[in-house]
Amino acid sequence: MLNPLPQESWSRRNATHLLQRAGYGGSPEEQEAFYQLGKEQGIEAAVDSLLETSEDWSSLPWPDWMQSEVDPNGETFGNQGVRRREYVRWYFKVLLGSQPLASKLLKFFIDHFAVDSATVGQYYRWIGMFRYTETLRRHAAGNLAGEDAPFAGDERLVPPGHYGNFKTLVNHVSWSLGMIRTLDLYRSNRGNVNENFGRELLELFAMGIGDEYSDDPEYTEEDVAVAADAFTGRKFYNFRYYPDENRYNNPAGNQNPPLPPASVWQNRGSQDRNTKGPFYGYETTPEGNPIIDGDDIIDVIFDTDRCAKHLSWKLWRYFASPKPSKELVAALASKLRDDHGYEIRPFLKDLFLSEEFYDESVVNAQIKDAGDYFVCLANQLGVTLPTRDAMEDVMQQLGYEVHLPPSIAGWPEPEGPGNTWLATGAMVFRMNMPSVFTHHNYEVFTTGRTRNSMDDFPDVDWNVIAPKELRRIEKFPLLLENLRQRFIPNRELRKSQVRTLLDRYSSVSDELGELEGVRELVRLVLALPEYQTQ
Amino acid sequence: MNTKLNRRDFVSKSIWGATASMTLPGFIQQTLFNLDARAQSLPSQGGDGPIILLMEMAGGNDTLNTLIPYTNSIYRGARPEIRLGTEHNILQITDQDGPSVTGKNEPLALHPNLTRFKEMWDDGELGIINGVGYPNPNLSHFKSFDYWHSAEPNGVPKDGWIGRYLDNQCDGCGATTGIYINRRPTFAFKSNAATSPSVTFQNPQFFNWRDKQILGREKSLEGLYRNLIGLDHETDDGVSEENDTLAYVQRSAHSAMISTESVQLAMERGGNLINPDWPSNGLANSLKIIAQLIKGRSDTSVYYARQGGYDTHNNQVLEDGPLSGRHFDLLQTLNGALGAFVDEMKAQGNWDRVVILTFSEFGRKVIQNGSYGTDHGAAETLFLMGGQVAGNQYYGLYPDLAEDARVSRNSMQYNVDFRTVYRSVLEKWMGVPPSAMSAIFPSPPRDFQPLDIIR
Repeated sequence: MLNPLPQESWSRRNATHLLQRAGYGGSPEEQEAFYQLGKEQGIEAAVDSLLETSEDWSSLPWPDWMQSEVDPNGETFGNQGVRRREYVRWYFKVLLGSQPLASKLLKFFIDHFAVDSATVGQYYRWIGMFRYTETLRRHAAGNLAGEDAPFAGDERLVPPGHYGNFKTLVNHVSWSLGMIRTLDLYRSNRGNVNENFGRELLELFAMGIGDEYSDDPEYTEEDVAVAADAFTGRKFYNFRYYPDENRYNNPAGNQNPPLPPASVWQNRGSQDRNTKGPFYGYETTPEGNPIIDGDDIIDVIFDTDRCAKHLSWKLWRYFASPKPSKELVAALASKLRDDHGYEIRPFLKDLFLSEEFYDESVVNAQIKDAGDYFVCLANQLGVTLPTRDAMEDVMQQLGYEVHLPPSIAGWPEPEGPGNTWLATGAMVFRMNMPSVFTHHNYEVFTTGRTRNSMDDFPDVDWNVIAPKELRRIEKFPLLLENLRQRFIPNRELRKSQVRTLLDRYSSVSDELGELEGVRELVRLVLALPEYQTQ
Repeated sequence: MNTKLNRRDFVSKSIWGATASMTLPGFIQQTLFNLDARAQSLPSQGGDGPIILLMEMAGGNDTLNTLIPYTNSIYRGARPEIRLGTEHNILQITDQDGPSVTGKNEPLALHPNLTRFKEMWDDGELGIINGVGYPNPNLSHFKSFDYWHSAEPNGVPKDGWIGRYLDNQCDGCGATTGIYINRRPTFAFKSNAATSPSVTFQNPQFFNWRDKQILGREKSLEGLYRNLIGLDHETDDGVSEENDTLAYVQRSAHSAMISTESVQLAMERGGNLINPDWPSNGLANSLKIIAQLIKGRSDTSVYYARQGGYDTHNNQVLEDGPLSGRHFDLLQTLNGALGAFVDEMKAQGNWDRVVILTFSEFGRKVIQNGSYGTDHGAAETLFLMGGQVAGNQYYGLYPDLAEDARVSRNSMQYNVDFRTVYRSVLEKWMGVPPSAMSAIFPSPPRDFQPLDIIR
């Protein structure tokens, strides 16, 4: 299992598939160049080119106001709405940036470690959300510096590790203000425990439940209680009032200053310092130390088969297909834990190189989630982001309010990736949405709204999408093939669809001119069910 | 293959007999499907028949502070800060105490914010089902909701109980027989049939095909879409036979196409609501849409609404007392929104057509936790309301609070399996014959005796 795809199996289909899953696809030219890269320099070189991340990505600047400790506009109710929209737009700016795999991983983490802005805080909500997201983003960017990951805060709190390592990431999340707030850690004290974090750490972040992909024993309710006891006493200072010596200074002229000091701390008095166990059958940590605090629990968890399988399963579902076999999950788990010590990029390299990843059951078997959908759409049309107000409206309609996950499980998908995104209303919106770009049809999401700042919705360069020489009706087959390659590569159009599109293109072109015909054609191709899969 | 047994087959069965569908070419099934879709303006049961409104309280409602055993010494002892008592203006149910598994009747009171619930109880329109749950309770939100939605506790859920109900009992009914007001689908509606007659949308305003009139197009967007996804095509039904994922999306597109028109029509017919006093919150907005659809005689028999936020691990009550905090606010919202909905149903003359069932994925632990909240528990209390409900009556027994332990799966035991409640609603209210129950609740045990919940 997980043998590398033989070089002779490299094809345009496989190249396009890899580009779509490890990123957000590419223009016809990019697809071809990527195929040629793999052909000339080998598949591994092609995969490596996707795994690279540059500092450029990880230093994408925060909004200016984030660089002061207290929101300069004050923390009024009205300002909260502005900040929320800024956050949403910032997030999508990151997704649309030049580092597709890293942004894809960020999107995965946002779902896997979901926090809810309403819970993060009343006064420091958006500063808290940005900082939390920044932690996730650094892990998504990977181990750029090749050294220990500096925890954004008091480094005495966390064990050493790397950015881009799943175990380190869980450690950092467990010490993040966002999660300490969201899952009530700050209210969990020795002898007076709140089990919320302990339970979700086991169920959602690391071990999972059920026997769909793992026959290993489940953790028990007693294990939940032990984990909850171990994570007691984690506190935070209020952003507004943390001590003077920790005050954050913005060095003049520095656009990308380091993060401010941590506002989280360990209250020894309210921490349960007793030796615990057994936990999931472990009397000690794998190194033989007593199980006392949260770090020890994480050490144990990441030693288990169940954890390695759960995380492999989730990564496979996200990047490949909904229902991997137990054998495949076991093989992936061994790569993730034993070969790579939970380093995510090396694991993904094995995944992207594997024969299984290019199987018939994987290619085109995924419904685009809301993030994929929007980023693909914008990239393929070659447009920038719309205004922050429009962005928020769009994401609401798509069912992806990134700051407000439906539950702590993120955007759960009981039936497998995709289905959660295609509620009937979202399907209707996805069919309507393209006409915002093609026809500036703001009515798609503005009926009854007073806010109207969508007039800046970016325009498409139609000469790129549909070169003038292809617009004459006798060139229609070539034009359509061009659009197919851009928007739905690895998909064929049905004869009946081609006929309908041709009829429509010719009648609109005749009546309103070729450019209008092109707009109409693109709008219709983007509304096809075929466009929703990748 | 099972997934091929779809609604089209039901339609064809009803017209040409049971075996025709297996040999029908795809496009003929498709045409029948279209006929069916277009026949939706004809009156059918949904337009004037019985209605269920499922009211999901997501997060695990603390029913001990919802229907309060205010004299119970275990309750009082386990919740020194967050308990409610007579000093908090709880709404005591004075006409009868709740039967309890301990054999001793339990004096009970509703949370002070549930004023409308109390009125309905006094008017005989509210039934209370105590001690509801299932064997081997799972304390995960997500697993437990899977069980409630699928009605297959401790199994691997494949489809939802409403989905199976519609699959089995919905021969040729319209595309909007089930409506969930939300952005994301519910597993309860998940059908094994390829095309389930249920839809999920958040805002009916946007549940429509939006073209710009000024573009001077002679043909509507809807017509074009219908054509492109194969709905109007004579020989190509637009559903892939090779790729399941694509087929799923294509069917979703079909469902969207067929249902938008009926929803818009019903909203238009419904027009303005009669009750002018609705609170302003998300749940009330959902219930307003449902009320308008009912007024507009939508061809719908199952409505579904959701209120989230019941996962009250912290600040369930605030430090200044139990008449504050998250649970207080949630029940205020619930009471206000449901109250306005009931007023509207009465004004419309539809109250006798509606049964509302509240449920949550689990109740919460008896013992309070370290942060003025409660952790996940097991048995819970359900409420059943409606003009025809046999109200002012307890079903099930109040659980024994002594069974709860802080750390373990042990929490209060159920004595009414929730599938009993589901079956009661389907059989006694929707008129589903008992013989159909084994298909709707396929896993053993199957011998749930329905409760007499309807007058």
